[in-house]
Amino acid sequence: MSEVTSSVEINVHHVTRIEGHGNIRLRIRDGKVEQLEWQVPEAPRFFEAMVCGRKWDEVQAVTCRICGICSVSHSLAALKAIEDALDITISEQTDRLRLLAMYGEQIESHFLHVGYLVAPDLAGVKSVLPLAASHPEVVKAVIRCHKLGNTIMEVLAGRRTHPVAMRPGGFGKLPTEGDLRAIRDGIEQAWPDAKLVVDTVLSLAGKLPAFERPTEYVALVEPGRYPFNHGSIGSTDTKQPVPVQEYKSVVNEHVVAQSTAKWAKWHRDSYMVGALARYKLNHKELLPKAVETARAFGLTPKACNPFLNSVAQAVEAVQVMEHSLVVLEEVLAAGIKPEKPQVKPKAGWGAGAVEAPRGVLFHNYTFDEHGICTAANLVIPTNQNHANIQKDMEALVPQIMDRPQDEIRLLLEMLVRAYDPCVSCSTHYLDVEFV
Amino acid sequence: MRPVVVIGLGNLLLSDEGVGVHVIRALEEQAASFPEVDLLDLGAGGLSVLYAISGRRKAILVDCALMGEPPGTLRRFAPEEVRTVKALSGFSLHEGDLVRVLELARELGQAPEEVVIFGIQPADVSPGQELSPILQGRLQEYVDRVAAELAELQSAYAG
Repeated sequence: MSEVTSSVEINVHHVTRIEGHGNIRLRIRDGKVEQLEWQVPEAPRFFEAMVCGRKWDEVQAVTCRICGICSVSHSLAALKAIEDALDITISEQTDRLRLLAMYGEQIESHFLHVGYLVAPDLAGVKSVLPLAASHPEVVKAVIRCHKLGNTIMEVLAGRRTHPVAMRPGGFGKLPTEGDLRAIRDGIEQAWPDAKLVVDTVLSLAGKLPAFERPTEYVALVEPGRYPFNHGSIGSTDTKQPVPVQEYKSVVNEHVVAQSTAKWAKWHRDSYMVGALARYKLNHKELLPKAVETARAFGLTPKACNPFLNSVAQAVEAVQVMEHSLVVLEEVLAAGIKPEKPQVKPKAGWGAGAVEAPRGVLFHNYTFDEHGICTAANLVIPTNQNHANIQKDMEALVPQIMDRPQDEIRLLLEMLVRAYDPCVSCSTHYLDVEFV
Repeated sequence: MRPVVVIGLGNLLLSDEGVGVHVIRALEEQAASFPEVDLLDLGAGGLSVLYAISGRRKAILVDCALMGEPPGTLRRFAPEEVRTVKALSGFSLHEGDLVRVLELARELGQAPEEVVIFGIQPADVSPGQELSPILQGRLQEYVDRVAAELAELQSAYAG
């Protein structure tokens, strides 16, 4: 350690008014790390209180409003938990249509994350705005892919954000076969846009920091699938997946001094969820275009660089577009059949899990004999990642602490962005001065 | 796609933060009066504004806004009339700033000729599924203001 650069003070959000988002604190004195903390405020526990007292068929309508990016995931995790609690079975048609809605959300979220948050870092600019000036065609392609994802959700789930058509046991309103054919055509037409975005990230991928830290990776697993709405909880640290109903033995939520949000750990001090975890656990099930994308980036199942989460998202964006076409063909071949879900409320406890774009999401509810929700527990992907972000920072800082302070700060921010944390959607209001 | 779009923004689980969505829901009852207009509840999905306004003649956005006004105040303004002072973490897609989103739309040449924002100063943005009494009491006034703007447009198009 040189004497010249031996003191660093980084406090990312010390003076700003950001709510609901994390803070990085790093203090290095005389070449020694005195403080390094990823600090995060409480995740939205108040949403759990809001569903208590609600009827079994209203819960998903509340939870889908938690977040404007992951609303299908929150809706579907809730539905799966409700169906588990009330012993409701769903048809293959419902299952496939829900998967397509999930795919719409993955397309939306992954293209937005890669295009708006990761690409500017790699291009060396502060936000997507300068990128719109230098690479307008790429940003327009991102917007078209975003629109495609939202259109899929709109057709399947009834709305572009905050779905309404998905209900316990089935669909309140089914898409028509014409709608589904239009989606299929939309995906086919979107391949050039997807390729442009992926190729642009590929051309900049050399800028991804070369940092590795082996950790535990956790995702849903299911034989023969790259699952998003099914499966048990798998880990790179065990060959024995755990049923979703035992999710508490996986997340082991615990309190730490530096954060009011709870942290998670399973076999180690921390684990990672999200696209990279899914890729590592389920890569054998990828379809050809996704395999080719992974190969182009040099992504392998041995990867343990958290910055590659963004690359795994690009691979998954291709995977879900490709698999959407397969599922659409299956649905169209079978034809859309009207269904009337019959549900009898009863007392019960149930858990549901889906792979939200940012990682595995758990919902868990208890209902009384009238089907009124009496207890709720939501474990979001970002909470599961906080401990891992901290451990990554602890490993990364000693490797980069001789660099200029601004560069250290940027690398730590990029690390957080790689996880694309979803803390809350609480800060959408305008905050303006008249000029 | 219709030439005019009215977009309500906000999180319905955070009291007055969701006022834009409440306005859209009320306007939907009069949708038949505005055949040239799409009414969209984009909820907390603020980035969707980018494509939802693309290709339109006019976009009207209704959102909760900190403007330094008394709670409940509605102000109608163009994006050019304001400067954002909102601090973003830059960590996540889960935060939004409509002013920056509109700037991006303009940069890409995808913004309508006319963009109007109806900003409503909140009284309370804490967790809750109802508007504060102050905003609830004035909700009809907000709806009427937006409807009046649409009625003017309607007659202009008809003329």
